[in-house]
Amino acid sequence: MTTKIIEMGPHQLALEEPMYFRVQLEGDRVADLDVMPGQVHRGMEHLVMRRNLYQNITLLERLCSLCSNSHPSTFCAAVEDVAGIAIPERAEYLRAVADEIKRIASHLFCCAVQANAIGETTLFRRVMEIREIMQRAKEAIYGNRMDLAANVIGGVRYDLTPEAASYLAQAMEQMKKPLDELYLQFGNNPVLMGRMAWVGVLPREAAVECAVVGPVARACGIDYDVRKKSPYGAYDRLDFEVALQTAGDVRARNMVRLAEARQSVSLIEQCLAKLPVGPLSADTLPEIPAGEAIAKSEAPRGELMYYLRTDGSDFPVRLKWRVPSYMNWDALKVMLKGEPVANIPLIVNSIDPCIACTDR
Amino acid sequence: MAIQEQETAAEPVRLFRINTGSCNGCDVELAVTSAVTEFDVEQLGCRYTESAHEADIVLITGPLTVRARDEVLRLYAATPRDRITVAVGVCPVSGGVFRDSYAVDGPLERHLPVDVNIPGCPPRPLALLAGIRQALEVRRARRAGEPIREPGDRKQPAADNFPARGRLSFDASACVDCRMCRHVCAAGAIRFEEGEGGVRLTLWHNSCVFCGLCSHYCPTGALSVTGDWRLDHPAADAFRQVERGEVPYQPCAGCGEPIIPAAPQLLHAVFRRPNPEIEKLKNLCPACRQRMSIGVPRR
Repeated sequence: MTTKIIEMGPHQLALEEPMYFRVQLEGDRVADLDVMPGQVHRGMEHLVMRRNLYQNITLLERLCSLCSNSHPSTFCAAVEDVAGIAIPERAEYLRAVADEIKRIASHLFCCAVQANAIGETTLFRRVMEIREIMQRAKEAIYGNRMDLAANVIGGVRYDLTPEAASYLAQAMEQMKKPLDELYLQFGNNPVLMGRMAWVGVLPREAAVECAVVGPVARACGIDYDVRKKSPYGAYDRLDFEVALQTAGDVRARNMVRLAEARQSVSLIEQCLAKLPVGPLSADTLPEIPAGEAIAKSEAPRGELMYYLRTDGSDFPVRLKWRVPSYMNWDALKVMLKGEPVANIPLIVNSIDPCIACTDR
Repeated sequence: MAIQEQETAAEPVRLFRINTGSCNGCDVELAVTSAVTEFDVEQLGCRYTESAHEADIVLITGPLTVRARDEVLRLYAATPRDRITVAVGVCPVSGGVFRDSYAVDGPLERHLPVDVNIPGCPPRPLALLAGIRQALEVRRARRAGEPIREPGDRKQPAADNFPARGRLSFDASACVDCRMCRHVCAAGAIRFEEGEGGVRLTLWHNSCVFCGLCSHYCPTGALSVTGDWRLDHPAADAFRQVERGEVPYQPCAGCGEPIIPAAPQLLHAVFRRPNPEIEKLKNLCPACRQRMSIGVPRR
């Protein structure tokens, strides 16, 4: 059998972001691969230390636009922990609403891109059209379709007026049927089954070893969701089940995502029903003392961790991340081993890799 | 008998995308213009291509990272010489929030010629389409050897009533020169200059990321977010895309020292109903204010 090494870039991988792989082939099967990261390295660790805590809210929102709300909300949670600020209850619910809206849009984008990767153009367009309901809702409520600008230190800076809340409820109603349909389609459609079932399998043991998180872990039967394991914000008052699958293949990962998107609809509805009246923010310009804190949240791609150290000035002394895609990348080696070259784009996209988050 | 049908449809204009290390916001929105009927570039007679050598219009996103630079320049060199280059989002133009990083080698114009800018963070799909339309006009004009036609009506379609976060607007009469806006601006888009007659604020739309944090923290509402998102422009006009205003100095009613008096908006925010006593104080410099209220200036 011939061994050869090929390089694959964003155009071959059907990725939106520049990511390069060096793939070692035996015949037409993948034997090994190396990820060549760094294309999207913008020096974030350096930048956050040169921006004050307020500027960092906006900067971190642009760390990655697909999980854009998770970054500032987790950062603000860390700052609030250092300063001992308890955010108002209304703000907790509004943060959950923003997070869940982003989760639905992010999961749908991932499913759409995978449909595109296997040449299912009609399905790709259909999923993107469904996602538009969320994009419209984001723009109508927050004023931007990607970066919501929902968070400030001490709470949120947007409000849901009764009109906005009923508009959002209506959008959620519109999402239900298409999401149920997509769940059935990704689960049972023979064409999609043929391409996605038993493809890119990550066995449970390997998943534990790679410490994967998010939908990639939950598709292997690992019951781990930060919203349940260590509830933050309003999540201890919201009712939902952790979406689980056991097969660990591409299909299972998408089933987890679509089940979660459907749950997010329910979570948003619960937030709207329970939304208490009250202030949006604890304090406009709170004093941030010296200290350190860790905050974590369940971003669309999995557990997101922030470490923050402050010295009493309004510049952070240190800010470190652990982003979900970092561990999930590593698992690609296991998923791709023995797979034909033609399956590489699909499998790579099935972990929903966020290069912007990981390269930083 | 088969009739050879004459080719009447015009060849589509081919769009080629290069990501130079973006946060993926612009790229996801560009994907929307290839997937969602309402925003499809086909309505402009365009189509996306995956090969650089077919590019009629090159759409570039991201602040150009050091690591991506060589690959970007290699790809760009593979595009035809008569391509039109569009900078999508503010990152390629100014670096946006990523400016001043060791890992960023922008602005893009240092490395290759840019024809059209589409500010936004990210630009909404309609703004992308407007920018691509502008690029098509540059292409047409260049091919015909004519000057570029000014886009006639820059007004937004009436049906579009989304309160999108667009261009910031500055009301100098409400500004009290506290400079909180500059303090919270992650992109460094706001500049204050002290001149002879007053303090001047300049806000550059090609650096602004439209997060609205300046307006959130502005105590008097001097800065406000407008819904105007039509900001695409020829790259040559990049530095004319500014919001400006001058807050004039006024002589202190006591000593004549030039001061920025407190705007009525600030007095209302602080006192709700300012009394004549307070109204009198607002025209005094800090030293005269102290003299008037406690008799002597504090040391």
